[in-house]
Amino acid sequence: MIDFYAYKPKEAKVFAFKCPECGTLHYPATMICKKCSTRRDPSGVLFSSWEKVPMGGKCKLLTWTRVYNLPAGFTDRYLLFGIVEFENGLCASGRLLVENPKTGMELNANAGLVREGIDEDIYGFMFET
Amino acid sequence: MRKVAVTGIGHTVFGNLSEFDLVDVMAFASADALDDAGIREERGIIDQVVVANMGGGMLNHQTGIASSLVSRLKLEPAMAELVENGPASGGSAVKMGYAVIASEIADVVMVTGGEIMRGVPGWEGTDFVATLLHPEAEYSYGLTLPAFGAMFTRLYMERFGLTERDLALIAVKDHENGAKNPFAHVQVPCTIEGIHDGPDANVVNNYIAEPLRLYSMCPVSDGAASIILCAADSPKMKYFKKKGPVFITGVGSASDTHCVHEREYPLDLKAVKLSGERAFTMAGLSPKDISCAELHDAFVILEVAISEELGFFERGGYKEAVQKGKTRIDGTLPINTSGGLKSKGHPLGATGVSQVHELVKQLRGEAEKGRQVKNPKHGLAVNFGGFGNNVVTTICSKEE
Repeated sequence: MIDFYAYKPKEAKVFAFKCPECGTLHYPATMICKKCSTRRDPSGVLFSSWEKVPMGGKCKLLTWTRVYNLPAGFTDRYLLFGIVEFENGLCASGRLLVENPKTGMELNANAGLVREGIDEDIYGFMFET
Repeated sequence: MRKVAVTGIGHTVFGNLSEFDLVDVMAFASADALDDAGIREERGIIDQVVVANMGGGMLNHQTGIASSLVSRLKLEPAMAELVENGPASGGSAVKMGYAVIASEIADVVMVTGGEIMRGVPGWEGTDFVATLLHPEAEYSYGLTLPAFGAMFTRLYMERFGLTERDLALIAVKDHENGAKNPFAHVQVPCTIEGIHDGPDANVVNNYIAEPLRLYSMCPVSDGAASIILCAADSPKMKYFKKKGPVFITGVGSASDTHCVHEREYPLDLKAVKLSGERAFTMAGLSPKDISCAELHDAFVILEVAISEELGFFERGGYKEAVQKGKTRIDGTLPINTSGGLKSKGHPLGATGVSQVHELVKQLRGEAEKGRQVKNPKHGLAVNFGGFGNNVVTTICSKEE
């Protein structure tokens, strides 16, 4: 059986997926490599499930916002979010833990709890100085 | 391909209609379109109904909406399908209606879009719309469409020197138009003093997602809009003698990466550019031919960015246009004559159909006093889905 949820971050890490043929990194996972069209099989039965490469570390803040009207499931007065670029060229959205951010500032990305689930907590990027 | 005429238009007021049933609201707009076309008694000539809706299943606990609408209007045995393409559902439904006629599957098509969103609390509605984001890489963080609108706005402001005052000027222009539109959600004008320059502006126009403020984004609205299409070469055109037809001359759509962060340059809205190019090519027109435009300003920055992607202004050039009043009703290119999503409102599935409704009204010369564009020939609408990952452009023309 194919586990289509295998790409869910079930541990306190965020992963990119590396194409076994050309080495291109994808975040989030795709089912076909954007460069060489190699297929991925999350179950690893018919095709490779691709190597999971932990993401994190140094990154640069591309843009950010402070949001006051949060959706259902969040009780904070506000939260900050940002989009960053990592040294390997990959980009990602995530939670920003800097109170007075500046576009272009150097940050460090770690994985942290971003949403508490009833049966599964969800981890994602926390960007901080 | 066959030429397709818009032969009838209908619209409910946009606002809080949560006391009404979703399908009833859609049926009301549809009945208006039948009356406008003069075919209520002869509505059996409708071969196909295309319905646009995004949240019926999640917000209203209703599915099978196309079948329900057909029955509510007593249009059986017309063919009926639902189109769900996020906030671009309406534009996609118009495109499907066009395609069904152009491909000779049908001669007469009713396209109706509608949404009831205000029956749930605001945070639930915000969460519902956010479900169109990537589940792990975006949604799980609590990111929302306003958050992406805000991050896009910040980048644009830093790159091109657009200011919060410029954003407020767009809102003032949109509200000026919306105040004269009897279908608009917010039929109240606002002033630059009230929302930016004055001492109470920070209270009246508070931040929602920095740098976006209350007057930088559209309200959450309920409502419906409907149009009736007919093949220009069909014998059934004889039924539509009440009003002169307007033609759909260009339709284009395009997609982009699901995740915003995957884009090569975050300020590029490639799907807007490509959908516009496809529609212009099909119509044999260029941006300078357009007399008025309805652009999907869920966040006012999108009026700026979409107009530049389409080629109405050069990159960074919209700022000067709004400062000089070029996009007002009496300007060189009136934009969002209906009030846009900012003032008219944004009932997701209805919006794309409502935009075409407004173009037809303008091209017929039926817009209300003070917001009728002078002698328009061609109108363009952009319906923007996701944060730019699925966009539909429609061009309507007065003459063949």
